[in-house]
Formats: sequence, structure tokens, C-alpha cells
Amino acid sequence: MGSKVTDELIAIVRSVIGDDGYSNMDVIRALYMANNDVAAAINIIFDTPDFGKKTRNSESNGLSSSYDGRAGGAIRERSKSADSNGEENLSPNDADADADADASEILGSVDGEWWLVGSAELAGMSTCKRKKLKAGERVILSFPSEVSNSPSTTKFPGRGRPAAACSEIVRFSTKDAGEIGRIPNEWARCLLPLVNDKKIRIEGCCVSAPDVLGIMDTVILSISVYINSSMFRKHVSISLKSPQSFSEESVVHPLPNLLRLLGLTPFKKAELTPEDIYRRKRNLDAKEKSGHSALTNIGSWKKLKMDAEGSNVESEQEPVSEFEMDSIVGTVDCSELEEMDPPNTLLCELWPYQKQALYWMTRLEKGRSLEEAATTLHPCWDAYRLADKRQLVLYLNAFTGDASTEFPSTLQMSRGGILADAMGLGKTIMTIALLLAHSGKGGSCSSQLLSQALTENSESCNNSDQSQTPKKLAKFGSLIGGGSLIVCPMTLLGQWKAEIESHCEPGLLSLYVHYGQSRSKEAKSLAQYDIVLTTYGVLTSEFSSESTEANGGLYSVLWFRVVLDEAHTIKSSKSQISLAAAALSADHRWCLTGTPIQNSLEDVYSLLRFLRLEPWSNWGLWNKLIQKPFEEGDERGLKLVQSILRPIMLRRTKSSTDKQGRPILVLPPVDVQVIYCELTPAERDFYDALFKKSKVKFDQFVEQGKVLHNYASILELLLRLRQCCDHPFLVMSRGDTKEFADLNKLGKHFLKGGKDVSRRDPDDVPSRAYIQEVVEELRKGEKGECPICLEAFEDAVLTPCAHRMCRECLLGSWQNHTSGLCPVCRKTINKQDLITAPTDSRFQIDIEKNWVESSKVTSLLHELKALCSSGSKSIVFSQWTAFLDILQIPLTRSNISFVRLDGTLSQQQREKVIKQFSEKKDILIMLMSLKAGGVGINLTVASNAFILDPWWNPAVEEQAVMRIHRIGQTKSVNIKRFIVKGTVEERMEAVQARKQRMIAGALTDQEVRSARIEELKMLFT
Amino acid sequence: MRYFNVMILGPTQSPYEGGVFKLELFLPEEYPMAAPKVRFLTKIYHPNIDKLGRICLDILKDKWSPALQIRTVLLSIQALLSAPNPDDPLSDNIAKHWKANEAEAVETAKEWTRVYASGA
Repeated sequence: MGSKVTDELIAIVRSVIGDDGYSNMDVIRALYMANNDVAAAINIIFDTPDFGKKTRNSESNGLSSSYDGRAGGAIRERSKSADSNGEENLSPNDADADADADASEILGSVDGEWWLVGSAELAGMSTCKRKKLKAGERVILSFPSEVSNSPSTTKFPGRGRPAAACSEIVRFSTKDAGEIGRIPNEWARCLLPLVNDKKIRIEGCCVSAPDVLGIMDTVILSISVYINSSMFRKHVSISLKSPQSFSEESVVHPLPNLLRLLGLTPFKKAELTPEDIYRRKRNLDAKEKSGHSALTNIGSWKKLKMDAEGSNVESEQEPVSEFEMDSIVGTVDCSELEEMDPPNTLLCELWPYQKQALYWMTRLEKGRSLEEAATTLHPCWDAYRLADKRQLVLYLNAFTGDASTEFPSTLQMSRGGILADAMGLGKTIMTIALLLAHSGKGGSCSSQLLSQALTENSESCNNSDQSQTPKKLAKFGSLIGGGSLIVCPMTLLGQWKAEIESHCEPGLLSLYVHYGQSRSKEAKSLAQYDIVLTTYGVLTSEFSSESTEANGGLYSVLWFRVVLDEAHTIKSSKSQISLAAAALSADHRWCLTGTPIQNSLEDVYSLLRFLRLEPWSNWGLWNKLIQKPFEEGDERGLKLVQSILRPIMLRRTKSSTDKQGRPILVLPPVDVQVIYCELTPAERDFYDALFKKSKVKFDQFVEQGKVLHNYASILELLLRLRQCCDHPFLVMSRGDTKEFADLNKLGKHFLKGGKDVSRRDPDDVPSRAYIQEVVEELRKGEKGECPICLEAFEDAVLTPCAHRMCRECLLGSWQNHTSGLCPVCRKTINKQDLITAPTDSRFQIDIEKNWVESSKVTSLLHELKALCSSGSKSIVFSQWTAFLDILQIPLTRSNISFVRLDGTLSQQQREKVIKQFSEKKDILIMLMSLKAGGVGINLTVASNAFILDPWWNPAVEEQAVMRIHRIGQTKSVNIKRFIVKGTVEERMEAVQARKQRMIAGALTDQEVRSARIEELKMLFT
Repeated sequence: MRYFNVMILGPTQSPYEGGVFKLELFLPEEYPMAAPKVRFLTKIYHPNIDKLGRICLDILKDKWSPALQIRTVLLSIQALLSAPNPDDPLSDNIAKHWKANEAEAVETAKEWTRVYASGA
């Protein structure tokens, strides 16, 4: 007594209680009262609700105020029975319900009911001295709120202190004695976030405590946890749209922990838990060391890819070779599969392996019987019985921590898989067989009511007898059940339609092509068809990522089945198309793709997400358990992905064999031949000049050490060189007319006077009449002559004053490079204001008038003419449509009729072109751009393919060849690839070969980086 | 084919009416990026043409434009004959004469035309 309160003591107290809320005077007063005992002083401050000058709302914890003696008594009663029953008390009593009602009234902001989860005892720790706590006395738990700063805004004003160290400490107090102590951290950690989110609330009372409390004494408390019903509604569905929202290290979910602490054990365990997967990983680790090389291969591919980041050049996409892919996904030995005969409504014979696929697919689709599926707990969910008297069952996802009170049946787990047979094995026909063998309406299995409604407007609903289906899935309630939806690339739309029509008994299945402006947006009309065909483009455009409700059309139907053809289209998981596909509602889901992995393992994730293969649609989990280990070269990732894919993926290749060891498919032989061409001396000159120019640039980059930074410009240099190998004219093509290809727009542009109207005199703008004349001339394609060279325009440009002249002439008339006078009207103009005059030709020169054959064209024509007499059809592939333009000239001149398929054609035009080519005897040649014809198209009518320029990505080249070498091909197939000797083309081949070798040995990042530069150097030697 | 002999008729209602004037026209290598060189071979009494036949015309100097053609150049020269400009002279004496006594100067021009440009 009487000893001086020192600054030191004040500082200590301050460090505990924080800086605001209490004045220095308060602290000194407390210390004085506590006789300079720091601990006691702190307790005085905290335990005296009115301590300090602030008017703090004592005991204003919303929960505690709801308790009166009656409720307290009830709790006491229960806690006694808890004592006698042991750890768990599952007998709720009436008083709880009353208390519930009270509480929810008071907590008006949170609607919904409070359900008792369970009660448990825990050992609190006293932090005070000399206080008394009777057994059975109510205790109030106070939670620090996470964002609190000022007491007035915190949810628990009494204890709203901001000190970071205290943010996890949950204290308990009584009405009379103030703060008693704290509860164990273990409890605090899982209670805190849930309480702060108003998901749960806690009641507690004392079970036993020492007669007089001392610091650190143990106080046994009994607490009951109530959970708010509102918590579940938000979490019913799997959050599909934000796959990235799960942090990489999947968070510790408080609710499962809490349930564990409460001593609740699931009466039904999830079949699949994160722990299982970890354990499985470990086992795998111990077991296997093989399969290593394939893994590192992919790993290094991945690294290569990352090096090239920033240059989104198509050709840069590193392909995964078939071999590597097979080592990841494994070609399942499927010779053991049973065969299933297709229904006789299928108008064609199936190969035995196709019958196996049909069996496999129907088995996967039907899975367990529907009723069983609806009553079987989803393997990722735990089921808990709540202590509440209403006998509620709580389901908890072991992976995401999501909670639900609705039964998570395996119905939510869509049935389906990945049919990953190699190209040309007839995935389309297998799918059509499936459509015929197993059809129905979406949602027919989830509610009788729904399916009855559906039978009324559908003829072929065969699943209407689901009388005992137990639970209606609220999620699907608002959707109309539909038939099968097939999503495919635009090029294949016609083919799907044609194949379905030709292979199904006419009139059996109703088919609707959901494409184009006039497509129906009505769910009802979509749902009435058995098969709806659409494209990825339409799917994306009908998908809005903001809200599911706003999505109409395809999204308002619950499909019986969704089939994604060329499913690798959705491979990048962040793309709209991938999200759009995953958001479709369907009972059965299928992916058809010959290349389930194109660039990286991540591609598989998108497919699994679409298939709703739990738990892998959770990105965090996928990334942690598969993606990362895999990228780091840990083969457990690979093993895991293999074990995931094995049951849901069927992959056979053309070399797969049946039970007797015979190949499953016998196709005519393929003969691949490389034709080496020599450049003519003139071409050589041109090429060498271009090459020198490019090399100078490249060497600059090397000198500056910026090769990898300038990847895109280097690829551009290479592109020009590669084009030069095809035909020097290609290098002279130009690409900037697009913007003003529309002449009306051009006219308007001039009348407005370009961009900066404000800065110009109105007189400066050319007259309307003149503009109209100019535009009219352009429209008529009148040749006209350049006012400077007085010859026909060559690479004409338009000045802002709407005068037309050759680019070369104009620029030559200027003193400097960037600006000068208009030769006609003497207005000052800038180079960037010039507009390339729109013309039909994309070449700077008139290629017809100046026509010269390049050596490649010559040798192609030679080959084609030789074939013409035999009448066998050929497809000519190039990756540049401009080269197809060039090829048209000699073909027309030699009176060889041909058709052309490229990306500019509309769907109808494409179908027409393909039909022409297939049916007309006199059309022997199809010119095809790679991008238009890469996938799906069946052109078995042709038996020769000419690949004019090598592609970076051999897989694409293969895709193209597969257009003709596939089921239905009866003749032997000749593939001819053209390579010009002594050019970049030849070296590209060498680089490809070198790459294969390089991948075979695992390289470090640094090595890969330098190897990449080496490669480019190789191309420029 | 860079060197041309050109004949221009004196424009009507000008002192040069009835005259036939010979000129030489040379296209330099840079043509059309540079102006052609034009010179009167026939003697002519004109304030913008000196006794060597050189012509003072802006488009033949700094106002040259590649869009101008030989035809336009010659038309411009013809126009210059119709509208002599003594304020921007090449031949000072003639210009002075023109300014001091236009009627007398026009008479001299007519005389010269008759003597030197009579088409013979």
C-alpha cells in the first residue's frame, strides 16, 4: 500500500489492455486498487464493466441478454445430465427450444432457426483470483471480433479490444463476478470464425470449479453449440464459378473441427476424405518408382511453356506427344470389357471395340440404380446427427467444409466419363449408339412430380416410373428436364447432324440445331427435343458468369445428358467456355476427346470439373495434391491422377488390340513421304535477303540477351521466313485493310475528318460529293491510276484528304519518313493517318498479272496432275489462307476444279463445300486451311493429303491427316509433306527432333532456358 | 526519253496570241519526285521569263508536287502567258517596263511574238 505507481508498471498494463479505451488515469487507479499487482490491476480493469470513463454497454453481448433464470436453469439441468451421460449429451429439452426462439428474436439480423448441434465439456482456465464460481452458474463467452477497433461498432462491445495478440482469445465471464478466465485455444479457434459470421452461437455454464479461484485454476464448463439454419442455404451447391477462391493450401474448416471437439462422430463416414488421399499418396510413394520418365517429360514441357509465357502465339503451345499422354492417362487394357449390342434402331454395324465402349458407357451412366443413387450418401460428405430434438441431420463436405442439411446423394454426382479413344475410332458413332441405347429426360430420376410433368410433353421418356425416389433436389427444381445436349465446335455441327440422321432410324429421335440468331431461347421448346446440337460459341454466349438465374436458354434445362465433343476445347479452366460448360445442369456428362491432355495436366482438371467428379472439382485440392506435386516432379501426383481417371476414362488407340491380340481396327495403310524441294535461284536470292535481314535482328536480340523477351517478334521473323518457303508473294501480303473493309464506314471516317475533328478547319474536310465518288470507285473496284506514277495502283493508300495513290509513290515524294504534303492538295499528312485502300487482293502486287510459280507450287502441281488422271481425291493443307489464294491461280489456269474450306466460311457454306467435295466426281482437290479443318471433319472420300508447310505442333499435323485416315477409309492413304531444302523449314524439323531428345533427359530450368535459345539459334544458322 | 521539245500556242487575248513558242522540257532522274526542267527556246517578252528562257513559276520550284503532270505544267505555263506577274519578276527590265507603261510593254511583246514566234 502506498507504494508509488511507476511508469514501468503502467507500461506493462498498457501492453496488455491496449492503448485505447482506458486513460492513463484509469490505469493508475487500477494499479492503486490492486496494490501495484499488475495481474490484479489488469483483471480489475477488465472485470469491472464500468471501469474507465467510457460508457460501455455492460453485458451487451446479444446472446447473453436473452438468458434469464429460466433458461439458465434449463442449461444447468442439462449439464447435470451431461455429467451422468458422459461426454455426449444428445437429449435436448424444451427449454432449449424456448431459448432458441428468444435468441432468434433478439438476433433479428440473422434469420432462420437455431439448432442445437451438441454439448460438450471443456476445461477453461481461470485468469482471476479470489472470485467465486458456483457449479451450474451461467457463463458468458465473449468473442473478440476480428475487425473491431472502436467499442461502439463491435459485436461484443464488452470485450472489443483490438490487440492482435488477444484476437483469438475467447474469455468467459459471469454476470456477477465479471471475467473468470479463458477457454482453450483449440476451442477458441474453431468457435471464433463461426460465431463472428453468426453461424453458430454458444451457451455455457459452469460444471465445476474450485471453491475459490486462483490464477490458472481449471474450470470445467459445459457448452452447447447452436447452429443457424441460414448457414446451410448458401452452401447447398458446389461453388462452381470461383474455382480459384479456394486458397492453395486448403483452409482449415472450423466446422468439422468443432464437430470433432463436440465429440460428434459422423454416423456415416465419407468414403473419401482428404486424409485418405494423403495416405494414398504416401503409399504410392513407397511403392512405385517407375513411370518416372514420363512425368519428368511433362514437367519439363511445363517449364518450357512457362518460359514462353507472355507470347501467346498459337504455334508456341507445346504439345504433349501421344506417347507422353498415354503414359499419363494410360491406355486402359479394355479388351476385357463386355460387348453390348446396339439397339436395332442404329442403322449401322459397330466394330467389336465400339460395342465395348457402348457397354462401358451405359454402365457408367446407369451406375447404381437410380433409387440407390438417390439414397446413397455422396462419398465426399460426412453425415452427423445433431443433438437437436428435431432430429436433424447435418451433412458436411470433408473437402470443402461446406455444410448442408439436404441429403447429398450421389445423384448430384453426375454420371459419365471421358471417352478418349484416339482420333478416327468413331467416337461420334459410339455416342450416337449411346443416345439410342439409353435415353430419357433430365431430372426424371430426381422427382416423380417432375417426371410426370415431363412425360406430358415428351414422347420418349422412359423413366417415368420413379415412384419411390426419395428426395427432390431443390437445385433442379426450377429447371425443365430435357434430352441430350451435344456441344461441338462449329465445324462439326453439320457432321453431327448428318451422322445422327443417317445412323438413326428416321423419326425416332427429334433433333434440333441450336445455333444462329433465330435460335429458340425458350427452355420448353429446347427441352422437347431428344437431341439438341449446339456449339461452344453459343454455349458461351448464353452463359453469364454473374448469376445462374440470368442464364436462359441452355441453362434453363436440366439435361438428361450433356456431351462435349472435342472436349479439350474447355481445357483452360479459367476460360469462359470452360466455366460455361461446367455450369450446365445434367444427369449424365460425357467428354469426347482424342487428346484429353493437350498441353498440361491442368487440362484434365477442367474435364473433371465439368464431369463433377468430386472432390476434384475443387481447384485447391487438385492443385495441392496433383498439379503441384506433378510439376515438381513428384510422381505421386501422376499416380493419383491415373487412379482418378482409370474408372472414368476409356482410351483405345489404333494400335490397341482385342482379346485375341488382333488390332481392334484395321485401316488401310498410310504412307508418309517427305518431298524435298529446291528453291529456284530467284527464290533463293529473295530468301537469302530476307534471311539476312532477319538474322541481323535476331543477332541483336542475342547480343542484348533479350531473346526470350522478344519471343513474339522472333516468331514473326520466323513466320516470314516460313512463308517465303511457300511462295515469296506471301511475304508481300499485307494485313491492315481490315478496319476499313466496310466502305460505308470508310466514307464516314473521311466525312468526320478522322479522329481529331476539333483541331481541323471545317474546310479541310473533303466534300461529301468527292468522298462519295471515291468510295463509289472503290466499291466498283475501278482500277484507276496513281497520280504520281500514272500507272494502276499498287498497294494503294488513302490520305486523310481522301486522295488515293501508291504507298511507295507517296512516301517517296516526302522529304522525311513520317510526314509530308499530299501531292494532290498539298495538305500536310502524317504517315500513320494513311489508310490502306481496301481491295479484294491481300497482296501488295497483282499476283495474277505477275504470276510466278514457286518451287513448292511447281512440285505440288506436278503431284496433283499425276493424281488427277487416276481420279483419286486430295486435300491440300496450308496454315496460311493467303497461300491458298496463291494456289488457286495455277489450279484455275490448268482448269483443275477444286473447292476451298477455310475459316471465313459460314457453317452452311462449309457443309455445302464438304458435300460438293464428297459427291462431285470432277472435284478432286480441296484446299483447306488448318484452322478450319483441324478437327472432326470426316473426309474419307479423299485418299491423299498434301501438307505444304510444317507445323510447329506435330499433333496438329496429325489431326489433319486423321481427317482422311479414319473409319470409312477404304483406300490406302498417301501423305506428302513438303519441305524446302536449306531453309528454315528443314531446320524446324531438326529442332523438332532435337526437342524429342531433349525431353527424354530431364533438364533443369536453366538448362531448358538455354536450350530454348540454342534452338532459336539453330533456326537462324 | 527524258528530253522533250514542246510547242505552246500563245493564248488568245494575250500579247502572245498567234505565236508558237518552242520550249525544251527535261525530266530529271528523280522525276516525278522532282520537278521537270522547262525553258523557252523562243525569245519572248515576258516579265517572268528571262532572256535565257528560264521561267519563274512556283510549281517548277518549291511548289512542285509529284501529282503534277507534264500536261498540267504546260497548262500552267500557258496560263502564265495570259497573266504576266510583274510583281514577281525574273527579268527586271521587262518588269519595270511593264509596270511603268503596260500598253507599251504589251506592244513590245506583240512585236516580239510577230518577229520570233511567227511559226516559221
